[in-house]
Amino acid sequence: MSLAGTLPSVPRKWPSRQLIVSVLILATMLILLWIHAPNFFRYNNIVNVLLQASLLGMLAIGMAVIMIVGGIDLSLPANMAMSAVLGAFYMKASGDWGTASLIMAGTGLSIGLINGVAVAKLKMIPFVVTLAMMTIVSGTSVWMTNSLSISQLPDGFVDLFGARPFFRIPITVIIVAVLTLAITVLMRSSIAGRWAYAVGINEKAARVARVPIARVVMASYVFGGLMAGLTAILLTARLGSASANMGNDGMVLDIVSACVVGGISIYGGAGRIAGALFGALLITVLSNAMNLIGVSFYLSLVIKGAVIIAFVAVDSRRGGSQ
Amino acid sequence: MSAQTILRMDGIAKSFGSVPAIRSAHLEAHGGQAVAVMGANGAGKSTLMNILGGVVISDSGRIAIDGVEINLRSPRDATRHGIAFVHQELTMFPTMTVAENIFIDGMPSERGFIRMPDMIRQSEVLLTRLGCNIPPETPVEQLSIGDRQLVEIARALRHQARIIIFDEPTSSLTGPERERLFSVIRGLKAEGAVIIYITHFLDEIFSVCEQIAVMRNGETVWTSPMSDIDPAKVVHLMLGIAEAEGRIRAPVAAGGDALLSVSGLGRRGALQDVNFEIRRGEIVGLWGLLGSGRTELLRALIGLDPIDGGTIRWRGGASADEIAPADLHRHVGIVTEDRRGEGIHLPLSVAQNIALPNLRSLLNKWRLIGQEREAPLADDMIKRLQIKVSSRQQPVGTLSGGNQQKVVFARWLATNPRLFLLDEPTRGLDVSAKAEIMKLIVELAEQGCSCLIVSSELQELMRVCDRYLVISRGRLIGDLPGSATSAELMHSIATIN
Repeated sequence: MSLAGTLPSVPRKWPSRQLIVSVLILATMLILLWIHAPNFFRYNNIVNVLLQASLLGMLAIGMAVIMIVGGIDLSLPANMAMSAVLGAFYMKASGDWGTASLIMAGTGLSIGLINGVAVAKLKMIPFVVTLAMMTIVSGTSVWMTNSLSISQLPDGFVDLFGARPFFRIPITVIIVAVLTLAITVLMRSSIAGRWAYAVGINEKAARVARVPIARVVMASYVFGGLMAGLTAILLTARLGSASANMGNDGMVLDIVSACVVGGISIYGGAGRIAGALFGALLITVLSNAMNLIGVSFYLSLVIKGAVIIAFVAVDSRRGGSQ
Repeated sequence: MSAQTILRMDGIAKSFGSVPAIRSAHLEAHGGQAVAVMGANGAGKSTLMNILGGVVISDSGRIAIDGVEINLRSPRDATRHGIAFVHQELTMFPTMTVAENIFIDGMPSERGFIRMPDMIRQSEVLLTRLGCNIPPETPVEQLSIGDRQLVEIARALRHQARIIIFDEPTSSLTGPERERLFSVIRGLKAEGAVIIYITHFLDEIFSVCEQIAVMRNGETVWTSPMSDIDPAKVVHLMLGIAEAEGRIRAPVAAGGDALLSVSGLGRRGALQDVNFEIRRGEIVGLWGLLGSGRTELLRALIGLDPIDGGTIRWRGGASADEIAPADLHRHVGIVTEDRRGEGIHLPLSVAQNIALPNLRSLLNKWRLIGQEREAPLADDMIKRLQIKVSSRQQPVGTLSGGNQQKVVFARWLATNPRLFLLDEPTRGLDVSAKAEIMKLIVELAEQGCSCLIVSSELQELMRVCDRYLVISRGRLIGDLPGSATSAELMHSIATIN
């Protein structure tokens, strides 16, 4: 009886209320831009927005998987920066950008693994573990680089991952689109995906249903870390350099915003991967629009914070007891 | 005895929505005496106590203290009238001190500052009255469960409570702690307090209480002095007359080797030296009252709760090999007591719920869960168990209780288990759904699947069981054949150890 109050008795619908509201917000913003800043619709700017949204979206996909299982990882941007820095160091020293790329992906994955072990095996609280990991990792990156960026990376690397093969559309956009498709299918139809939702919805029931809880939780953080590592490769190629402040503090907010706006529940067990990507697009357009309209950077932070609070409020009404 | 009636409750009734929890309850308690309130799960004793504690407001009926009718609208009212509730799950603030916990609802203060020395001194006085010497500055989290309970009693005494309700006070106490509690209760009685004592342990009421009231289906069915009743009679009154009529299958004496054999299984505070065997196709009833360790045994078998010792042997193939509980989990189907919390995933569809423990068998050549396999599995089960759904895509949270329970069965049936552990499989279901579930259990047994069933309703067990294991205080104390009568079964758990 007491449990009935804490579990949602009404099933979660798709499209969720968040997603509908998000689409309306995006439409409104596009209309405002049409009137006040028609420059937004220039081809180059659109491509640029898509590129930024893809990079944010990649991290958001990682975060979405972690949130669906019921956790959170605040260290994703810091993880990405450290992965980029380590890879860039190696690339510069050896010129072997293939191995360097693997180092970036591997670093991201390893940091995710540490988070995963801490949460799944040592039963630590995700928020605290990953917050601490964020400071450890970003501190290490600053310390290693002395806050200087590592530039003049091999042309092969920049040319491959910074390529714009079709209609000047960056390869990053294509990679993220394909990845979103693949992860969406996997989350819906693979054993791991089903387990992820089952754990996020109700861990106790999942345990009775023979779901290996610890493995699922750990895997979600490892996957999130891998996404951070892959983002490091693409972002480093785009910027032509790597630095410790690639993953600044504001980015965590953007990632969580993208997920929440895209219908991923902070209570776990609900939302779709494509939603997170859409959320990333909305957040990027919002930033870009405020920039074009001439809203100050600080005010834009205020607005973005307000947006996330509004969406979390909607989510808590959906996830909490009625 | 010159005991004087202090508390009198008459014609109490309470419904939640359209469901009556209490139809007609009465209770009389005398100063300096303890009255045992007994009843099976759902008999209405918790509701009655919540009414007395002011937590729930009754629909009708009268409550009088010292012959004066009173009105209880809130827990505060109850406190004012000297009624205190010592809860089963202790309501303490673990990081605060003993004194702070005792005075939590009214710390002595002066100009907004708490007068610590006063509080500590008064706490000491109260605790001494209870015969214990816990320093009042100790944080509660450093105390044993038994000591915490004394702190809770001290809190009741602070309000000059004359009527103290103990709800399952001994369920997590050790032997010596229990003895100490009993002597505290004797002390309170000597001071003239009324004790209302709720427990599932029959032996305790005979040593602690002077009076007894038995409730069944929301009515008080018996009140008398303790001396006018014996344990078997109490069980009989609690459970009602269970008729074995409508047996679905006559008891079958299963032969052959044991499918599961358990020896020396133990779990601190819950199970002690449990030994038993289950044969192929056998329906075994695990018969005991709530709190006897019956649920704990099922959970411990498959590793949902850890065990301290013992071995489990499982005849997976030709030989019976030792198996860890977590591995046994892979071979058995389990229906837990808490259907909505543990049995199913409410937001997921019927098809996804059924698929969850069966994902590996649903993989297609892409190593993905194919609709071409998931859908037929769901449709098959929906048809086989006659689950009423609008489609297999319907979220399971929107189904009725009976249909949800069928989904739980469906999910495990698809794994072809050789053993089913069933904890209250018919709880909260209507009569026809209950019958369907019981028939299903017999069907399973006919196909060679063994079942170990826990149920609070003896009539139900008696419709299907081939054998009974009797459990009390975490020990198996008997093994009765399927032909046992309800009187024999009731007698079996009424033994006082």
